[in-house]
Amino acid sequence: MTEPRAEITKIQDGFAQSGYICNEHIATAIFLAQNLEKPILVEGPPGVGKTELAKATAEFLDLPLIRLQCYEGLDEAKALYEWKYGKQLLYTQVLKEKLGDLMEGANGLKESMDRLHDFDDTFFSEEFLEPRALLKSLWSEHGSVLLIDEIDKSDDEFEAFLLELLSEYQITVPELGTIKAKSSPIVFLTSNNTREIGDALKRRCLHLYIPFPDADLETKIITARVPEVEEGLRKQLVGFVQSLRELELKKVPAVSETIDWARTLILLHARELDTELVRNTLNVLLKFQDDIDNVDSELNALTTAAVAAAE
Amino acid sequence: MSQVLSNFVRALRAQDVRVSISESVDAGRVAELVGFADRQVLKDSLSQVLAKTDEEKFAFNDCFDQFFAFEQFERSKAANDQEGSEDTQSSEDENADGQDGEDAQDGEGEAGGGGGQPGEARSASDDGPSSGGTGSDGDPTGEQDEEALADRDLTALLESGDTVELQGQLAAAGREVGADRIRLFTQRGLFTRRIMEAMGLDGLNATIDGEQRSGTPQGEARAERLRVMRDDFRLDVRDYVERQLELYTANAGRQLREEVLSKIKISNVDRRDFKLMQSLVRKMAKRLISLNSRRKKKARRGQLDVRRTIRQNIEFDGLMFDIAWKRTKVDRPKVVAICDVSGSVAQYATFLLMFLYSLTEVLPKVRAFAFSNQMGEVTDLFAEEKIENAIKKALSLHGGGSTDYGRSFEDFESMALDDIDHRTTVLVLGDARSNFGDPRADILDKIHDRARRVIWLNPEGKSLWNTGDSEMRKLSPHCDKAVACSSLNDLERVVSEILRTAV
Repeated sequence: MTEPRAEITKIQDGFAQSGYICNEHIATAIFLAQNLEKPILVEGPPGVGKTELAKATAEFLDLPLIRLQCYEGLDEAKALYEWKYGKQLLYTQVLKEKLGDLMEGANGLKESMDRLHDFDDTFFSEEFLEPRALLKSLWSEHGSVLLIDEIDKSDDEFEAFLLELLSEYQITVPELGTIKAKSSPIVFLTSNNTREIGDALKRRCLHLYIPFPDADLETKIITARVPEVEEGLRKQLVGFVQSLRELELKKVPAVSETIDWARTLILLHARELDTELVRNTLNVLLKFQDDIDNVDSELNALTTAAVAAAE
Repeated sequence: MSQVLSNFVRALRAQDVRVSISESVDAGRVAELVGFADRQVLKDSLSQVLAKTDEEKFAFNDCFDQFFAFEQFERSKAANDQEGSEDTQSSEDENADGQDGEDAQDGEGEAGGGGGQPGEARSASDDGPSSGGTGSDGDPTGEQDEEALADRDLTALLESGDTVELQGQLAAAGREVGADRIRLFTQRGLFTRRIMEAMGLDGLNATIDGEQRSGTPQGEARAERLRVMRDDFRLDVRDYVERQLELYTANAGRQLREEVLSKIKISNVDRRDFKLMQSLVRKMAKRLISLNSRRKKKARRGQLDVRRTIRQNIEFDGLMFDIAWKRTKVDRPKVVAICDVSGSVAQYATFLLMFLYSLTEVLPKVRAFAFSNQMGEVTDLFAEEKIENAIKKALSLHGGGSTDYGRSFEDFESMALDDIDHRTTVLVLGDARSNFGDPRADILDKIHDRARRVIWLNPEGKSLWNTGDSEMRKLSPHCDKAVACSSLNDLERVVSEILRTAV
């Protein structure tokens, strides 16, 4: 067996190449998911890269990413499979025409029925099955990365319905029986915790909590994503965002917003932060007027502190 | 799964981390996969398998550090400085963890082969000889041999100053005497002694005595040295035992008290336990919420579900004779809760209100009323204030007076009777002691006629009903259900019943 630590570092480096900077903790989760063949439940505040993680994994392992966005009212017909009704109707028409030939020369009702039973019935068969995201990932030959996004938005029933898929990598279609995965997909479930996820689901998953990155990691992320930003400004802006997260806000800025802000500053040819610049671009970071008003009075202090810390 | 891991899981459970069997099996697989060599990787991995909420992660981190702590080892290591320039903390940790992993396997082997072990005569040394001991329980010579071995071990070990080995043996001996089962503070001495004995204290003492009696200066010096070492080591063992105590019983006291409190009659609860009780009520409410937090689906009444209809009828050649409708989900019922907060139920009132408050969190449509001689609505109060303030205010506004059920029901009639319909469950919390005033059972009857259900929760036991000024005889016929409800467990049972039938 290869050394786990080495494997984990490899994953981390692989992610870094595709522009996803992560800490060891996250890489460990991927390593475990691969080896234990268990789904990962990813939780954390919005905008820390939960969905990105699945994308990066797909890219790193060179597997197709199959994404299922959850919402209230999602059911198995939309997530798993649907019958091709149109084709099925046509099939019955064709069948009716062929039935005459089949029944020719049959004596009595019993023999007709026997012949009918002998007839190959494909009405409910895989040919008439329209695969949706979950079935697609089970059917993919060389494995896939399945992302079930925002599982907390779906209904309880759907959560229960996922249990079979998550623990056995198989699903049951009543008309066909059980369909097993050709090769186990790597499954990510993400949740923003708008409601508590059931224990049964949690038990079947590895649980990864991604918090907001610390200053070091965030600086690295900015370096990877917006390489144009100069070192000094980068430190300043990360420091500012970090201190912003300490405040009591309705919605704290996420990593994606830090990246957006960095791009904004580049666009404005900014070389370093000053209060006026920050005030004008604050709407990139904060999305509630209340928050912007609240921060406004402290803006000067925050900016100076961030600039001083970066020295 | 190895002994170490299962002990760790038990320690986690003591810290209120919920670990299921399947999760501990996963932990075993994880440990097998990543090994004990790399502390950080092991910690990350186990935390993903075992701790599945924010708070649990927090508890896990603490527990992991504590459980896999080897401060003693590090301390002596620093003193001896044997490793010389080996600078990193992590390398020490690595060694320590690796050591522990080996021990785990040892422990397992013993349990499998030995069955009943003769208490003290086992010494799990890492190399060969220990295997001889496993089967020879009844054999006196075997035991003799082993004891001799054990003696030599402790004396030799102490003199060699091999702290790694010493720690390993200490952990092994701890497992053997069941130090992880320590429950009480007062057991520390006992366990310390048992562990020392298991490691061969008797032999060490004999050696010290022997050397002392030998009369030679070297002998006496050696005895003195050994004595100092023995006393130092005893402190180490005591440390170890205390750590075990902390690890496995951190929450045991609280758990025990919670268990008792949920069964005890509310009127008998001590003042100082109120805080705990409050958190217990909240816990209960939380559990009820999570059980019942299914969100209502928007129902569309009387609409044809085209998709399902086609799908359902396809086997009839597309003839639509089995029509499917979009289903209407039945809404959760409304609850109107009336709570007696008068002097006669003063003890209960706090909890009843606390419970009412929790109820407003569980169910979307709750109107809450409180009364002693006049009734007032507290719904808005509950919606605006935090639980502590809300209860205080409700009590000061409506509490304290002498009960008058008649008057209160009249108030209720004028305030809320119109709002009661066939979907409403009316919950009355009170002892039905109306100070010999007319309880106005006729109003309750009116409520009963309109409401879906009327449930009376009486904090007094059934035997006390109808004694003195209790009017249960007059009131209970107008209730669908009248139950005694005196402890938190009762309360939870009744409420979950309401919620279940409410769906």
